Amino acid sequence: MAARIRLPLLLPRSFPPLRSLKHVHTEAVKEPQYPPIVASLTAKSKSARLRQNEERIKLISSSPVEEKLSLITRIQRMKFVVYPQTFSRNPDRWYQHFTKTAYIPGLPEKFNPTTEGSQLATDQPAVPEIDDAAFSEIRDLVTRVILHEHWHKMRKRQPFLYKHQEQVVGPFLKTLVSELTYNLAKYNPLLRLSSLDFSPQVNFYWRRGKRIIPKGHRRGRQEPIRFQIDDHPHSQIRIPQQLPQFAPLEASYTAEVPEIHLAPNVMPLFRRQYDNNIFTGAKLPDPACYGHTQFHLVPDRYHRDRLARQQHSDQVEPFLRANAAASLFAWTGAQAMYQGFWDYQDVSRPFVSQAVITDGHFFSFFCYQLNTLALSVETDANNPRKNLLWGTESLRLYEGVQDGAVVGLDDCVLRLLVQFLMNRPHS
Amino acid sequence: MTLICKRKYPPSSLQTRRNLRVSHCFAARVPPQKKPREKVEIPGLEMVTYGDRMHYVPGLAKPVYPPWEMSFKDPRYYRSPPAQEMALYKDKPCYVFNQRTSILEGVRQAAWLTKTHVRPGLLPHLVSLAAKPENQLPDQDERVQNAIKHSRFWDTTEPRPRKEKYSNTLLLNLLHLCATLQPTHPAVGRRILAENYSLAATWKRGEDLFQIRGRNGLLHCSMDPLPRICGEQEVLETSDQVLESFYPVSPTIDLQQVSVYKEEMNCTGFRGEYPYPHAHTLYFLETSDPNCQLRPEQFRAKMIMFTFGNALARAHKLYGTQPQSLLERPITVQAVGTNGRIFQFLVFQLNTTDLSGDDGIKNQAWLDEDVELYDFAKVRPFIKRKEVKVPAGLAGYKPETFSKFLALYLHGAA
Repeated sequence: MAARIRLPLLLPRSFPPLRSLKHVHTEAVKEPQYPPIVASLTAKSKSARLRQNEERIKLISSSPVEEKLSLITRIQRMKFVVYPQTFSRNPDRWYQHFTKTAYIPGLPEKFNPTTEGSQLATDQPAVPEIDDAAFSEIRDLVTRVILHEHWHKMRKRQPFLYKHQEQVVGPFLKTLVSELTYNLAKYNPLLRLSSLDFSPQVNFYWRRGKRIIPKGHRRGRQEPIRFQIDDHPHSQIRIPQQLPQFAPLEASYTAEVPEIHLAPNVMPLFRRQYDNNIFTGAKLPDPACYGHTQFHLVPDRYHRDRLARQQHSDQVEPFLRANAAASLFAWTGAQAMYQGFWDYQDVSRPFVSQAVITDGHFFSFFCYQLNTLALSVETDANNPRKNLLWGTESLRLYEGVQDGAVVGLDDCVLRLLVQFLMNRPHS
Repeated sequence: MTLICKRKYPPSSLQTRRNLRVSHCFAARVPPQKKPREKVEIPGLEMVTYGDRMHYVPGLAKPVYPPWEMSFKDPRYYRSPPAQEMALYKDKPCYVFNQRTSILEGVRQAAWLTKTHVRPGLLPHLVSLAAKPENQLPDQDERVQNAIKHSRFWDTTEPRPRKEKYSNTLLLNLLHLCATLQPTHPAVGRRILAENYSLAATWKRGEDLFQIRGRNGLLHCSMDPLPRICGEQEVLETSDQVLESFYPVSPTIDLQQVSVYKEEMNCTGFRGEYPYPHAHTLYFLETSDPNCQLRPEQFRAKMIMFTFGNALARAHKLYGTQPQSLLERPITVQAVGTNGRIFQFLVFQLNTTDLSGDDGIKNQAWLDEDVELYDFAKVRPFIKRKEVKVPAGLAGYKPETFSKFLALYLHGAA
């Protein structure tokens, strides 16, 4: 009853003297602590599917590298098989679109001595650390290798149809690569620690773009487009240290990547379902996990003479560019994934590799810098980075062999080859 | 132990023939073969044939026409003439050793055919080459073990690569490691690796003619010849040694006997002024061909024969094809054979090309058999009765084997 309340003489500051929460435990509990409200994990709903994807991404991101690779490549689904050496028309634009690669004609400044200081360049040797005497030794060595394979070695009969590249040019390239590598090992100490593989395997698996499933019980739903490259270069050099970048990451923001709005099967590209592999040429425990140079052989089917007979001479250069883009993207991508980077954890440093594609007489040189692995739809939305491919046109190394002598050996091509093999990190 | 029961099948000529494309009885026993009637030819008697009538008439003989030959040459329908009519036919047969030959008596037969005295083990001054610190690789053991692991485990996306692949990769990896010594040993740069070259060498042994033909594997050719292993005195002492005989087996057993051959066929595989004329080392790998699987003894015999063939072809080129009882500079050739784990090392010195008699100066060979590089390279551990007998990975690595390999590689360059 109100009348019976005895009021104290001294009234407290806050009246009525009810327990006020403002004064008790002020810094602590401000609002109720509930667990975060997220979508369900097991419900049959789109948000549950999104939540499942997030959990999967978190699981993959926090696992060690070997488990990461097996989690990414575990599930087999229909995927487009991308062949680096392909008969399609203008494959270079398609492959640049699939791998988000921008093509820059010519080689990076490192390999081009013809910059502003061209007067200085003529005084200095074109390849630093190799003086003229050493270069003439290398030239003699290359002459001997060409003659060894094409002149001195006795062949009982001409190679059978479509076996010429495999039986004649293959061994020549093998001898050339090994002899040059060992000869240049005294100038480039990285080659002494390198690993030289012949007929290795390089595989890569990635997703790019999406499509709407046209028919079936999943009709109308979005599906990412999966790709797989299974490449077999002629030979490759793997090194234990990474090569330095050719251009900073930011420089790729302005590069142009061709956009193709047609589905990949128009190219033509065919779908298959089999093991998803990510492989640089050796498994994870190998210490030589970074790539230096790959050498590719143009098969008889895509030889420029045959293409000329079919009036497709304009397809020679696109074929070489597409081969370089696909092979080097697969190799650098696999190297990056071996270091733990993937779609949702993009590369923190660019991965760099080189390639030389030849058919015995003509050599083309390519440099590739992988700036981004985030190619799937979700990660590519705000990704300004692009991968870069530098490349030359095909250059003739020598005209031919006559009476035991090599005719028309080109020094520039030889110099480029030597520069490629001399590339190493600045120590 | 499980008993494996094998079902016995009758020979294919007597097996029941099944025809599932017809509507009558599906299977029937093959009727026994009828012997054709013997045709009796009576000379002078002209047979009346139904050839003129252009159709079969019972009672008349079948006409016999001369064989038809095409008027132009078509390589698809060419039939080679019998051996006796060929241009290079000779009455005396020649015994040919090729890369698929597996000779019965192995190393003994190879030694008899090449008039060689084979000694076990390599000479110590060769093996000590690799013991010097300047002839060793930096981090040698670790790098060799990495090379073995790469070839045995890391080279493929599958759990383990196949035997022919890993033995090939191992040999190439080891050669790569040895070749990285080129900066410190410039003479190594005066060599080149050749493969798929066709070797041919001919020699007479007693009454018979022998030839070596074929492609054997990798050859390391060099600009400089290998130094002689044995001094002159020891070479002359070999004339006192007797070749091991394996009577009653003939020395020509298992060799291919040919009647059509070119005499004096000597070819090193290269023509012209070859900048690398001297053979340094041959590398042999076991072939994957199921028809010619060589046992270790036969594999060593093949090594001896082809090393001898290379040396002989070069001797014929340098000194002519006339047999010489003692070469002024004996020709030394080395060989290494492997199956991916076990290595065979051979050093051969050709002292004489006079091989017709069994006496006189002999050639010399030093053979190191069955040297293991490592014990086990298992992808999954070998567990027996819940006990790990052999762990996964590389086990039992032996560094001496690679030292011998490196010593043979650096011989002549260090």
